[in-house]
Amino acid sequence: MQFSNLNLDYFSILPEIITALAGVILMLIDAFSKKAGRKLSPMFSLFALVATLASIIALWPRASYTASFAGMIVNDHLRLYFALVIVACGIIATLLASQFLDDEALPPGEFYALMMFATTGMLMMASAGDLVMVFLGLETSSIATYVMAGYRRTDLRANESSLKYFLLGSFSAAFLLYGMALTYGATGTTNIEGIRQILIAGKVIYPQMLLVGVAMMLVGFGFKIATAPFHLWTPDVYEGAPTLVTAILATGPKVAVFAAFLRVFAEGLGTPTAPAVGAQIYDNWINALAVMAAIGMTFGNIVALAQRNMKRMLAYSSIAHGGYTLIGFLTTEYAPVGFYMLTYALMSLGAFAIVQMLAREGDAKTEISDYAGIGFEVPNLSFPLAIFMLSMAGIPPMAGFMGKFYVFKSAWVSSPNLRWLVIVAIINSIISVYYYLYPIVVMFFRPPVSDFTKPRLSPMSQLALAITIIGTLYFGLFPNGALKVLQQKTPGAQQVAVQK
Amino acid sequence: MVPLSWYLALSAALFTIGVAGVLVQRNVISIFMCIELMLNSVNLTLVAFSRFLNQSTGQLFVFIVMAVAAAEAAVGLAIIISVFRNRETLSVDEESLLKL
Repeated sequence: MQFSNLNLDYFSILPEIITALAGVILMLIDAFSKKAGRKLSPMFSLFALVATLASIIALWPRASYTASFAGMIVNDHLRLYFALVIVACGIIATLLASQFLDDEALPPGEFYALMMFATTGMLMMASAGDLVMVFLGLETSSIATYVMAGYRRTDLRANESSLKYFLLGSFSAAFLLYGMALTYGATGTTNIEGIRQILIAGKVIYPQMLLVGVAMMLVGFGFKIATAPFHLWTPDVYEGAPTLVTAILATGPKVAVFAAFLRVFAEGLGTPTAPAVGAQIYDNWINALAVMAAIGMTFGNIVALAQRNMKRMLAYSSIAHGGYTLIGFLTTEYAPVGFYMLTYALMSLGAFAIVQMLAREGDAKTEISDYAGIGFEVPNLSFPLAIFMLSMAGIPPMAGFMGKFYVFKSAWVSSPNLRWLVIVAIINSIISVYYYLYPIVVMFFRPPVSDFTKPRLSPMSQLALAITIIGTLYFGLFPNGALKVLQQKTPGAQQVAVQK
Repeated sequence: MVPLSWYLALSAALFTIGVAGVLVQRNVISIFMCIELMLNSVNLTLVAFSRFLNQSTGQLFVFIVMAVAAAEAAVGLAIIISVFRNRETLSVDEESLLKL
């Protein structure tokens, strides 16, 4: 933190301001008028999220490395791109939420407010230029999502999911925090760009302590993105939480944590040519990450083969996808990770949305066997689900294929000595085809279940589904637009914010 | 003056006790207290560094950690209460509905 140059640039935190204020207003709407809230809250949150989207686009021409708020906020292309993806996830989730809350007769006000606060936290993670902000954003989004996981208060499974998420989430946050504290002690600064400058200059005060600190931060981030060997909470939490909340947990926070992960590791500690401990740290974390990615993919895919519950299967698949995404870190650029997160978020939200529509009240029908023979009964749900499954398996022309292709290709080119990882990943995506095809086979080729009734679809849910389907196909067929946005280089030299 | 390493050793010991407690304890409230112990041991580390580096950054970080820990405690205890209402037990061994 530098206090001589605070640079209070309020425009640079406009997205966060809008979502935070919207969260407070949503709570007030709920407090003053419960009845009107049910109609008004979703409309208002959509309006606020679209305004946030507009403010992010308005910030685009101002992208630079110049940090505002004493180095706390960085407004570069990484931040803007990830903020865009996070808000897009928020919009899709909000569109889906009104039907979910109506069907389950749950109170609407807090849900939208919590979602706004969670989005605020996620946006803070994307824009953090300082370890303090990373921690604050992470906890803001986590605390809101702990509550959302247990939103169906009388349901034992939701209770358990929320409790497990809370205990393991705060346990891992403590690890992350200890890592940050040791990194601060070793380098004398909490600013991420400052840490980078100190590593390049070779001025680390306690090199060994920095190694321990970075290792603990890796554990903390690994927990939050649910990669093996820190994934144990994921299947339980994803299965027990209401399906819509699972959709939110699996996308928005994951995208945001990847943004912060990139910022701290790929930017702050991405110093392969630094003297002494700098290069050693880079070697260590990149190798640790490669191992985590390999275990995550293999474990996620193999255990997913044995799953008979759709939500659990998708949870293991999301562990595997986390592994694939980590391969993008080998390039120490944000483009592969960013593009993979975009495609993953779209197909995940779509798949969970359909699971939610088919699950009925209290998530009663989430076993894959419940989907038997529904293929031609509800083609408007079964065909999209097939598209998302094929996309996750990485079959062209869906977005999932493009995401995988881009990550694998850039890792293959950029790091010749870690090419084995790409080969492991390709073998893994072949294994994963089996369990992604399984629900499709069950839907279309099994005799129908007798008690199946068509689920109700509100116009808003249909719109959300349409967005995810079009997105999945669009980014699979025409990825150039998104890649061009991702490859923009932030203008201007990196601003140094080192404290003396 | 007490050297920096003493503070660091103390906070590392507290952190380890917290981790061990989370892994060993079976009562949700005890686990939660152990997590709080972990957070506070980190606070001790931050304050010690702040003092020995002659900076205020670490102390500011501690304020933010304390605010976050308070928010977390509020939400955490609420979750624990709602679990207790439905199950009438605080043992994590009973929380085994969701398993492979």
